[in-house]
Amino acid sequence: MAAVSTPAVSEASFVSRLVTRKTVMVGLLILVIVAALAILAPLIAPYSPSRLSVVNRLKPPSGIYWFGTDEFGRDVFSRTIYAGRLSLLVGASVVAFAAVFGVTLGLVAGFFRRLDTPIARIIDAMMAFPDILLAIALVAALGPSLVTVIVALGIVYTPRLARIVRASTLVIRELPYVEAARALGVPTWRIMSRHVLRNLVSPILVQGTFIFAYAMLAEAGLSFLGLGVSPEVPTWGTMIAAGRQYIGQADWMTLFPGIAIILSVLSLQMVGDGFRDLLDPRLRKDL
Amino acid sequence: MRIREALLSGLAILASGPVLAQSGGGVVNVATIGEPPTLDPMVSTADLVGIVTQHFFETLFTFDKDWKVTPLLAASLPEVTEGGKVYTIKLRDGIKFHDGSDMTSEDVVASLKRWMEQGSRGKQVAGNVDKLEAVDPSTVRITLKTPYAPLLALLSFNNSAAVIMPSEKMDVPMKEPVGTGPYKLKERKPDQYIQLVRNDSYKPLDGAGNGYGGARKPILDEIRFVPVPDPNTRVEGAISGQFDYVDSIPVESYDRIKNLQTSKPVILKPFGWPVFVMNTKQGVMANTDARMAVRLSLSMEDMLAAAFGNPEFYSLDGAMYPKGYVWNTDAGVEGRYNVADPDKAKALLKKANYSGAPLRILTSRQYEFHYKMAQVAAEYLKQAGFTVDLQVVDWATLTQRRGDPALWDIYITHSPFLPEPALIGQLSESSPGWWSSPARKKAVDAFNTESDPAKRSALWAEVQKVIYDETPSIKIGDFNALSAQSPKLEGIVPAPWPYFWNVSLKK
Amino acid sequence: MSRYILQRLLGMLAVMFVVVTIVFIIVRIAPGDPAAVMLGPDATAQDVASLRTRLGLDQPLIVQYGIFFGQLLQGDLGESIFLNRPVLSALADRAEPTFFLTLFSIVIAGLIAIPVGILSAYWRGSLFDQTATTLAMLAASVPSFWLGLLLIQFFAVRLGVFPVSGYGGPGAGLGTRLSHLVLPALSLGIVSSALILRFTRASMLDVLNDDYVRTARSKGMGEFRVVMKHAFKNALIPVLTVIGLTAALLVSGAVVTETVFGLPGVGNLVVSAVLRRDYPVIQGALLIVAALYVLINFLIDMLYLLVDPRVRY
Repeated sequence: MAAVSTPAVSEASFVSRLVTRKTVMVGLLILVIVAALAILAPLIAPYSPSRLSVVNRLKPPSGIYWFGTDEFGRDVFSRTIYAGRLSLLVGASVVAFAAVFGVTLGLVAGFFRRLDTPIARIIDAMMAFPDILLAIALVAALGPSLVTVIVALGIVYTPRLARIVRASTLVIRELPYVEAARALGVPTWRIMSRHVLRNLVSPILVQGTFIFAYAMLAEAGLSFLGLGVSPEVPTWGTMIAAGRQYIGQADWMTLFPGIAIILSVLSLQMVGDGFRDLLDPRLRKDL
Repeated sequence: MRIREALLSGLAILASGPVLAQSGGGVVNVATIGEPPTLDPMVSTADLVGIVTQHFFETLFTFDKDWKVTPLLAASLPEVTEGGKVYTIKLRDGIKFHDGSDMTSEDVVASLKRWMEQGSRGKQVAGNVDKLEAVDPSTVRITLKTPYAPLLALLSFNNSAAVIMPSEKMDVPMKEPVGTGPYKLKERKPDQYIQLVRNDSYKPLDGAGNGYGGARKPILDEIRFVPVPDPNTRVEGAISGQFDYVDSIPVESYDRIKNLQTSKPVILKPFGWPVFVMNTKQGVMANTDARMAVRLSLSMEDMLAAAFGNPEFYSLDGAMYPKGYVWNTDAGVEGRYNVADPDKAKALLKKANYSGAPLRILTSRQYEFHYKMAQVAAEYLKQAGFTVDLQVVDWATLTQRRGDPALWDIYITHSPFLPEPALIGQLSESSPGWWSSPARKKAVDAFNTESDPAKRSALWAEVQKVIYDETPSIKIGDFNALSAQSPKLEGIVPAPWPYFWNVSLKK
Repeated sequence: MSRYILQRLLGMLAVMFVVVTIVFIIVRIAPGDPAAVMLGPDATAQDVASLRTRLGLDQPLIVQYGIFFGQLLQGDLGESIFLNRPVLSALADRAEPTFFLTLFSIVIAGLIAIPVGILSAYWRGSLFDQTATTLAMLAASVPSFWLGLLLIQFFAVRLGVFPVSGYGGPGAGLGTRLSHLVLPALSLGIVSSALILRFTRASMLDVLNDDYVRTARSKGMGEFRVVMKHAFKNALIPVLTVIGLTAALLVSGAVVTETVFGLPGVGNLVVSAVLRRDYPVIQGALLIVAALYVLINFLIDMLYLLVDPRVRY
């Protein structure tokens, strides 16, 4: 699915076409709401996410506790929106990590013939590991913490971006005007930054959106298994893991963080899909 | 050959038919908290290992329902002479191992040696043993350097257990479990099941069962221990009737299982006590006043409520042993339990010149209630002016880290009410916490060398008082344990290490 | 063509070599002494030293790497610390539930996705199409373990129609074992149906516009026959490819799902191995799974060569 964009798409028309797409708009709307709730959590949350109130434990959703309370009497709504900060932070950091290393690797492989084969082999080998399995092994080796989860998932998703960047670079470097620039003696790094990177923005954007979504799902899975973020740190994954104990008597502890994950991942996929359809003319004709 | 087999099995059916109807044999599925790390009960102190292996390995002595030592493979209680230094143990006759060989004093001596080399409780004894010898094929003699009252309890205990194995099966690590018990191991599939079958040549003691002592009648044909590490899955397995016995479920699931057709609660009351162990060797908790500040700042009531929910499953109790035990005493407790007074704690912290260094609390989620108590404690400690660093790690990491005094200040664990107080870990200078003081030495030594039970109760009160004066650890309270059983199972006795001899299945 | 095959074969071997190296590195970056970590706090210095020797940890890294490689070539994946048996046989023991779980998840995903995908393409842009596409996206957003928890609550605890956890006891018959797989396969299958649906729809759209389909239609052939016989048959190759890829992706899903349902599969073994610090098992599982993936990919390529005469290199 190597999406090679045509350089012809001008930014203004891109944005205007984006806005007219229903799924993209709905996705963006959900995403903005989720992000706003997370970022503004200290202003919105009715209670502190760590405030214990043992007498009020396991209370069902009500006007006082919108999403009910957990086993310590903490407010599940406040915790859900605070957890969003960390879940989104993990997603964003993983994308940033993968983008920096993936783009670098991909560009180097695409531009320097001698390095291409070894890098391509490494990318292929990395992609042979199922993502959660590789992440588990990396977290096991590095020790579980917020940072190692980000690093582990970053390493897992780096080859996915690197592969796309490499493929695109290989095509772009053969384009007549890039060849011409080279013939004129323009330094490689300038060609890279001026011609290649510019054309790579959209495929990276599309992949980045999906990686964001996968990373959030993977973080939840790792934390659920107890191999991710420390359990007292509220993320949606750790909240579901904690709720599992009480699912028979207090299912709100499991339901709400789960719905939060679904909404965020869904919105990211809707946006990513929209991006891809707009940027990839071959797929666009199908939709 | 075929015909003979068919005939034989036909005969077996004929023979066992009426017995079966009478005995209510059958297969029982038991959900346990996980996969035991080993089936060698000597090397492990894990309760889970004891629960499984007690069905095929046996000790010389065991505990009856009043936690008194009673003979099992020994013919009687030992003859103790020379002021408590020489124990002469007569063995039962006609005991056979699962491989068909006879148990002799030689096997017992070899097994006890292995225990003193490999078992953590055995090692505790070893330093005090002068001689271990076989007097004749059915008599063993242990000679001690100094009188040591806990010896019999240690020989009776089922974790880090002094089990008897054939002298030619002493491999470390153990190759195959060959014991004398009412059941024998048929198959072990790690993470799937441990399958035990009835030992048909087992000869139970006369009379009825009495706690872990008395007759152990193998009635069920098969016991299958199935590891189910997730507590909620165990609850669900009980509710859906998938398991006949489900060990150790969260007490908060009580309401979910109390009115079911498929399962009913088994309550063990009281089961044990959660404890905060202090690092008295190094760091913030090396100071006695700072330790007392922790004690006085905590609300045991809130901690227990958060950890166990339903008040039927916990009680506020500062005494190291609850009422009903001979060891129950309120020595030293007054004004030092469930105080929750941040001002007093602050005053003590000032006296201790507390610098604000983080108080590192180690806990795990292996036992959910540890983690919950830690969270509540952290809030109270913050109010008293402590800087709290709550470190939630897995149990394996915790047991590893607590061995290094540079890494922690408090760790959280729990213990059942051990029949012999000398077995409580924190009393020993070598266990993590490294409590060492003149007052400790005086009180504990006096207690350990006295063999007169009446005097020992009074000496234990002294030990408890020193524990409260110096705070090497903080007992949080008493809690009960909850398990679940199918109503079809008959003869289940609530016990800290559930056992399935004398248990039958209603048809 | 044989040159192409040889080239691909060499490429595959090179990738395998890198896979082995990556696994070697991951296991060695663990902080602290792996032997001490594996044995836990009760171990004596002597125990640790002897395990270090047994694992070859007292050798220089490059020698360890050489030994590791040599053992691999002989099919030796080492010994599990916790289980006290060869890693390979421990993994083989756990293969069945994982294999069946993957298979049934694929079947469920295919049964949902292929018919819906075909209809979506046929009624492109309709309400049905939009609903199906949105639902597929929704399914792909659900964490499979979360769905699994809900399925257990409803079908196993409340209705009692399926077991809660495990894989049957000793000597459990095939029927019992399969009944343990229904809920896990359902939760994985639903979640992974999205990708197959998307591909079926896209490749159907591709062929529905092709000339021969139009020709078939103009000949007055029935719609059902046109769609199934001409269009779908030709859309099948990309669909099969994506099903193969989904199978590989499912291994990831299986790790978490097996843990939720207590299925004694490979994923469950790996999670327990991490918690038990059983590094040889983690190492072995990573190697086997990655090698299978590389191999499947190679075979798919070769299959293309056979099936599609247009592929020429």
